[in-house]
Amino acid sequence: MKVEDIRKMFPALDASVYGKPLVYFDNAATAQRMDKVLSLMGDLSAYHNANIHRAVHKLAGDATDAYEKTRDLVKEFLNASSREEIVFTSGTTASINLVAFCFGEAFIREGDEILVSEAEHHSNIVPWQLMCQRKKAVLKPVPVDDDGYLRLDVLENMISSRTKLVAITQISNVLGIINPVKEIVNICHSKGCKVLIDGAQGVVHSGIDVQDVDCDFYAFSGHKLYAATGTGVLYGKKELLEEMPPYMGGGEMIGTVSFKETTFAPLPEKFEAGTQNFNAVPTLGPAMEFARSVASDSEIVSYNEKVRDYLLEALLSDDRIRLFGVPHRTIDKAPVFSFAMKGVHHEDLALILDKMGIAVRSGQMCAEPVMDRFGVTGMLRASIAPYNTLEEAEYFIKSLEKAAAMLA
Amino acid sequence: MTLEEKKAEVIDDFSMYEEWLDKYEYLIELGKNLEAYPESEKTDDKLIKGCQSRVWLDYKVEDGKLFFRADSDAIITKGIISLLISVYSGRTADEIASDDFGFIENIGLKENLSPTRANGLVSMINTIKAAAEANRKSAAKEDDEVLSADDVKALAPMYENVVLALKQVYDPEIPVNIYDLGLIYELNINKAREVYIKMTFTAPNCPMADEVLNDVKVSVEDVPGVTGVKIDLVFEPVWDRSMLSEEARLELGIDLDDENSEPSEPTEYDGYGLH
Ligand SMILES: Cc1ncc(COP(=O)(O)O)c(C=O)c1O
Repeated sequence: MKVEDIRKMFPALDASVYGKPLVYFDNAATAQRMDKVLSLMGDLSAYHNANIHRAVHKLAGDATDAYEKTRDLVKEFLNASSREEIVFTSGTTASINLVAFCFGEAFIREGDEILVSEAEHHSNIVPWQLMCQRKKAVLKPVPVDDDGYLRLDVLENMISSRTKLVAITQISNVLGIINPVKEIVNICHSKGCKVLIDGAQGVVHSGIDVQDVDCDFYAFSGHKLYAATGTGVLYGKKELLEEMPPYMGGGEMIGTVSFKETTFAPLPEKFEAGTQNFNAVPTLGPAMEFARSVASDSEIVSYNEKVRDYLLEALLSDDRIRLFGVPHRTIDKAPVFSFAMKGVHHEDLALILDKMGIAVRSGQMCAEPVMDRFGVTGMLRASIAPYNTLEEAEYFIKSLEKAAAMLA
Repeated sequence: MTLEEKKAEVIDDFSMYEEWLDKYEYLIELGKNLEAYPESEKTDDKLIKGCQSRVWLDYKVEDGKLFFRADSDAIITKGIISLLISVYSGRTADEIASDDFGFIENIGLKENLSPTRANGLVSMINTIKAAAEANRKSAAKEDDEVLSADDVKALAPMYENVVLALKQVYDPEIPVNIYDLGLIYELNINKAREVYIKMTFTAPNCPMADEVLNDVKVSVEDVPGVTGVKIDLVFEPVWDRSMLSEEARLELGIDLDDENSEPSEPTEYDGYGLH
């Protein structure tokens, strides 16, 4: 597969902004949508729109099939052991909140501890804070080192008999360092605590085999994986999901309802209350297929690595630039580059780059604790997808140079 | 140069650049040339909320004119604020308060900023407007009208009611109303029954300033017969405790004649900023 072939699948990439071709380097915030995703969503909305699981008519049957077939596809994609372990949510944030609430209700007592890393997205911090408040439990951060690597030695020492769960990102949306999740799960399980992995970035750049890694929960969002927004997945081990109480009450999640007693539907419907995002969930299908085909195509993989290595090299060799998340080996780094430039404000850079047609992110990137850890008020982030080209990367570096000269 | 002339000049300057990158270059130049702002004044009360980058804005009033100074850690933002300052600094409160800031739209600045930066721009404008509003000269004060004896007689009860209304407003830090605290430096009512108040706060940079000013306005407007209220906030002369009324001193237990002039129960007044 060539990068040009991939670019043809993403209509947005043809766009120009301010008369310049769009260079979309904000993929960690959200990826562009594939044409197959867009047409499927349009098609489902236009011709197969009916509420799922609820009616006997043909349209409802089609919609239900499309939705439930996607569950099987997600199960395969994550290599989960059963489809009951796949819960559809509105995204990573919703998945983590579900676990924080329901796992909290089932398993957390006063004085228990939850660990998260210092490099988490707010979505993997705040739900635990809320749960800890409710349960009088304690949330503790595990540090990362100066290069952005999680301190596994500290993690190991921090886990005590009170530690009930460790929630760690697979890849930080700021640092881009790929965490050794299998090793982390090993450490945690050997000490008897459960592990949730925030796969929002990881699912895009590394993928996951939940049985091999043996994590207890895994969360990701569709929109970062080229699928429709408002789609997301929670994977949870069946025995845990079964012991957890429902999250929201409503239609679909029930067995029988009466004013005396309501029983709940079996997994996974127990966690899918109310009308689901059935026009969008099936877009996960083509999106996951695309992600898988990219990951298994050596030509495009090596091209993408070339782009990553070029950017890494260019940023590291500029001594005005401080890169956050410096890999010891290039394979430890996902193509997510956050940095600061000496004497130049990240927001000024982003503003000028924007006028050059380049979309990058500036600011705190929903991860204030990481900003504090590295002593900055914000960063500039360029995050790359398989459809980004070497020419774009070169243009970005040149433009960065130009912007810096304007601001110096 | 009048305000209108200055605005026309800025619009003209800006129109010389076709490309937005060039306009940014111009803003960056302005930012770099902005008069230095003292580090010690980069305090939270001068920080403008709503900006992604940090912006501090401060001003002083001289001869009825407002002089602004500001800083930001982002240079384009600094250029924008420099532009605003070049237009509005040295103007009277009335001039600024009655301006519509429409020239910002004429140069297309707001539309061409990222939404966060555009919000920041709006916040900067609002801060400048608020400063002007707070220093606006009242119509009442401007006409040097002569009140006849009859007028005074008619206005006297209203005057008392306004004082009562002022006594309803409490200082956020000291549990005494603003009138007895001596924060009201001047109180006039003109024939048109417009009230003019010149007042101060116990300390500059009071974080509650806007709320208190608003309380004063609302409270006085409620007085029957009052047709309008104008408030001037001044910090000269600086307020001190000798301005407390007899009642306030009693209430706070402060004896000014006493050499030590310590409050009789010191612990109770700690943190009120009286020392
Ligand atoms: C690492 C990480 N976790 C969680 C999230 C939250 O994802 P969402 O906003 O899709 O729920 C993001 C995305 O911003 C992320 O990058």
